[in-house]
Amino acid sequence: MSENLLLKATGIVKQFGGLTAVNNVDFNIPRGSITSLIGPNGAGKTTFFNMITGLYVPTSGTIVFDGEEIQGLKPDAVTTRGIGRTFQNIRLFAHMTALENVLVGQHCRLHASLLGILALTKKVREEEAAAHKRAQELLEYVGLGRSRANELSKNLPYGDQRRLEIARALATNPKLLLLDEPTAGMNPQETDDLTRLMRKVRDELGITVLLIEHDMKVVMGISEHITVLDHGAKIAEGSPEEIRNNEQVIEAYLGRGAAAHGKGGRQTAATGLRT
Amino acid sequence: MATQTVDTSTTGRNIPWGLIGRISLVVFFVLFLAVPLWNTILEMIANPQLLLRQLIIGLTNGAYISLIALGYTLVYGIVELINFAHGDVYMIGAFMSLTLIGLFGLQAATPPEVRYPLMLLILVITMAFTATLNVGIERFAYRRLRTVSRLAPLISAIGVSFILQNVGLLWGYLRFPALNGVMGSNAVAPKSFPNLLPTQNLLEPLQAVFGEGFRVRFTGKDLIMIGTAVVLLGALYFFVQRTKLGKAMRATAQDRDAAALMGINVNRTISLAFLLGGALAGAAGMLVGLYNGTAVFNMGFKAGLFSFTAAVLGGIGNITGAMLGGLLIGLIAALSDQYINAKWTNAVIFGILVLILVFRPTGLLGENVQQKA
Amino acid sequence: MNPRIRAGLAGGIFGALITLISVDQVVYLAGMLAGTTAGMMVAYMEPQKKWLDGLRQGIQAGLLGGLFIVIAKLLRAILINPLIGDSTDLGGQFMLGLNGLVIATIISAIFAVIATLPRPQDLIGRYAMVAILTLIYPWIDQYFQYRFMGEVIPVLVFVLMALGLNIVVGYAGLLDLGYAAFFAIGAYATAMVASPHFGISLSFWLVIWIAAAVAAIFGVILGAPTLPLRGDYLAIVTLGFGEIVPIAATNLDTFSLSILGFKVIDNINLTGGPKGINPINRPYLPGIGAFQSSQPIPWYYLILIIMIFSIFFILRLRNSRLGRAWTAMREDELAAEAMGINIVKTKLLAFSMGATFSGFAGAFYGSYISAIFPESFRFEVSVMLLCMVILGGMGNIPGVILGGLLIQFADRLFLPQLSNMMQSIISSPQVQLPSSLSFLHELSFASDFRLLLFGITLVVMMLLRPEGLIPSERQRMELHADEEPVVEQQQTEVYTARNQETV
Ligand SMILES: Nc1ncnc2c1ncn2[C@@H]1O[C@H](COP(=O)(O)OP(=O)(O)OP(=O)(O)O)[C@@H](O)[C@H]1O
Ligand SMILES: [Mg+2]
Repeated sequence: MSENLLLKATGIVKQFGGLTAVNNVDFNIPRGSITSLIGPNGAGKTTFFNMITGLYVPTSGTIVFDGEEIQGLKPDAVTTRGIGRTFQNIRLFAHMTALENVLVGQHCRLHASLLGILALTKKVREEEAAAHKRAQELLEYVGLGRSRANELSKNLPYGDQRRLEIARALATNPKLLLLDEPTAGMNPQETDDLTRLMRKVRDELGITVLLIEHDMKVVMGISEHITVLDHGAKIAEGSPEEIRNNEQVIEAYLGRGAAAHGKGGRQTAATGLRT
Repeated sequence: MATQTVDTSTTGRNIPWGLIGRISLVVFFVLFLAVPLWNTILEMIANPQLLLRQLIIGLTNGAYISLIALGYTLVYGIVELINFAHGDVYMIGAFMSLTLIGLFGLQAATPPEVRYPLMLLILVITMAFTATLNVGIERFAYRRLRTVSRLAPLISAIGVSFILQNVGLLWGYLRFPALNGVMGSNAVAPKSFPNLLPTQNLLEPLQAVFGEGFRVRFTGKDLIMIGTAVVLLGALYFFVQRTKLGKAMRATAQDRDAAALMGINVNRTISLAFLLGGALAGAAGMLVGLYNGTAVFNMGFKAGLFSFTAAVLGGIGNITGAMLGGLLIGLIAALSDQYINAKWTNAVIFGILVLILVFRPTGLLGENVQQKA
Repeated sequence: MNPRIRAGLAGGIFGALITLISVDQVVYLAGMLAGTTAGMMVAYMEPQKKWLDGLRQGIQAGLLGGLFIVIAKLLRAILINPLIGDSTDLGGQFMLGLNGLVIATIISAIFAVIATLPRPQDLIGRYAMVAILTLIYPWIDQYFQYRFMGEVIPVLVFVLMALGLNIVVGYAGLLDLGYAAFFAIGAYATAMVASPHFGISLSFWLVIWIAAAVAAIFGVILGAPTLPLRGDYLAIVTLGFGEIVPIAATNLDTFSLSILGFKVIDNINLTGGPKGINPINRPYLPGIGAFQSSQPIPWYYLILIIMIFSIFFILRLRNSRLGRAWTAMREDELAAEAMGINIVKTKLLAFSMGATFSGFAGAFYGSYISAIFPESFRFEVSVMLLCMVILGGMGNIPGVILGGLLIQFADRLFLPQLSNMMQSIISSPQVQLPSSLSFLHELSFASDFRLLLFGITLVVMMLLRPEGLIPSERQRMELHADEEPVVEQQQTEVYTARNQETV
């Protein structure tokens, strides 16, 4: 069983001073799946991401990734082990071109040493050429063509910036890709394209995807597993179908009143989750 | 696209540079400094009078260092800027007070009933001047950069520091007859203050108790230096803790955006921090000028670094911390002058600064800031 | 404003300032500099495709620049020369000015025409032109007897250091306020292994590497504990280090070392104390022999070669995975870390690479002046270097070189010359100073306004043009200009925005 789990988090707690942002959460990601993490604003989703990627150290709990405990490792060490991520509020390197952003993503997969760089050995040159080629490919893969490659990332349109972030994360050669609200602020057309891209990443590249998303249409349409956080605690987990009909989830999203008030409330809640 | 194999060959070699650095600092201390430190302590115990004298010097040092350190702490607490030019504002304070002393024709021979009220007046004018200067500096050189980045205002502050130093240098050329010759004859040379403070030894009566061998001196000068600093520090503490404006300042320091939402005028509060810091630095400039009898255009650099170290030692942003840090740095400097060697004192203070920043960046009294991600 | 007028004005003001304060022959140099400035600027601001358009444009800008030189020459002849006893022959002075004008126009035209070539020939041509002017300078200097070489060489040493500091500040975004310390370490390392001080006389060609290595090691020693600190704290710690090194150099003339109380080294003279170490061995080359201080030309070419090598290696670093990691870290440290960049290691590499180039500079400088004193490495030097990097444009090699040349020439040639001229004027018999202004006799522009110069540079650049005179972004856009029109970038943020607390 457990060899089928790419990531297994147990008893994760994160406290900020008096605030418990994540409270005793167990969380599994099956290898090769698309898993979603949902929950109302401030539920602790991003905080959970940050613990997986080493930006926060959990107050307690263990995170096992691919057979190795990774909690408390530095972010770069986590990335090197095969976890790539995007950020909720885009954090591209604004004054670098799209291509350079993706090249930076490849940093931990390149080997050129200081001396190799200074001497510009054949090996380093070949590695650089390969890195550039791969960066181009990745840009095209996420739907940013050649024409955009040399533009400063801050000058790209918003939707392209989100795609570029995904390309940059893919460049780290992840086994697990964490996407924090990738469709936020996108129009329906862009959202559809991006959903397709996520599925392609999993199907073609075999990368496991963990998604934080508020758009229920995306979540229900794409994920095989869903975990719901509310006020830092896990309140439900299961298939999209199970989550759609879970009383507690509806309650969490729409408040206690909605679920208690019989049919009308249920209806709204269900539609709310569906759209 | 080709299938990817994740390459983990680089994962094993994450060298903990920070840790290595810390450990090597500790090893360095044990190997080279532990024994000399122990010898020094023995030396101190062997001659308690000398130690006492150095402690008194340290106290007077601490008085002015605290005054300047407060300027760093107030500003850093609110805008997170190391106001690099602050030490030079202090220098300008010294020059301003000297100019006024010349203008009023104060001399050692001026009768005390004229001299002291005038000195008080000069103190007030000097403080007002440096306060205005500091506020102006913020308006002109920092305000626009506040939102740009962290380092842009710091670089600008370094620039202002150099400009002020140059102003101090050119100030030395102001040799108007009305200044009664206080600027001397060489622009860049240190300027001499007249002897305006009483120098009699207040501990003389103790000689009757301890006998002739008791040589420790505590002069009227020392008392005035420490007394004025204590009064000013007390006033500032009261202001920040008790008045409405002071509370606004503390609120802004905690969370600028929230303070703005609560109707606090953030720009004005920031100006206020610069105003208070500038006034205290001006006072320190005058006190040190009178106490040491000299002022020179580049005196701000060393004083600024000592004071900044004091502010960091106490916990930057913490007002009580700055006072405590000032006192400690003053004492350390005085002890280092005597027991190590005056020529190494600067290095000692910088060494302390490095050690605090590396091992306890929050300082003695600073609370542990929430780890930022 | 019309680009031609702007370029002409810039070149002209530059040339006129030089002409105003200098003696006759310098007008040729003024013409060269004015022409270079005008030509490069006009070609950059108003790119032309046809060479004839370029020629016309270059000539126009150059003529305007040259006109300023002529006017400056005449003004000097009328207003200043009578007071300082220089030539008042208006006709002769006018002819000299005209010579300057012709040179300015020719050079400006050449630059403008070169710029019309297709890429990359235009870039090659431009750099070749700059290279030619640089290479023949010693002969110009000799022919017209400027005797500026003694100043030009240290200028280049400082430009080399600015290039090293640029790695730290410009590429990696680490504010290092104690950079001169590595210069000192390089120079002292040189002095210790290539002078009679310890009786060790290694060859300069070996020593320069030793100096660089020692500086790099010190970079790592200082960096390891301090680089995890936040940016502004790091700045202060480096400042502290920058102060400790000269203090140590001053006081380590009696150096004793005891480990755990046991004396290991007793009272040796390590650094020569306040007097420094003097003399230091000169480089020796077969064919040229030992370099002499009276023969500046070999030194000039030596520092040029060191600089070109340094630029070559810096560019390799810049375009490697390491260089990208530096930029990424400067842009957004947290995102960089999340992309797998080890922040401390990357910073440490930036720090030690920067130190390395300073070490080269230190080794060269030490043997060039054949002596070192602790006082030559104070905070002021570090800030001056910072000014150079910021003025020209952080992170951009041509910018840093330009910034370095401007600050250094202002400091070493312009201000002293201006000062001399002012002194000659006020002490001439025609000028009767009122006694209240007699202090002017002591006022020296060379030493009394330097700090102001640095200070104003920093403040003004931060407020008005934080990206520097030649920002790196534009250069990058320029390299890709074929695909997209050049976008004017307003107010480039120098560092990443401060609000990065939330992820
Ligand atoms: N660094 C921090 N310091 C203090 N509190 C924090 C920090 N990071 C997050 N929090 C708090 O933890 C809680 C969970 O935040 P988190 O960002 O994880 O929510 P989220 O589920 O991602 O919400 P959203 O959907 O709005 O992105 C919030 O109350 C937030 O204020
Ligand atoms: Mg979130």
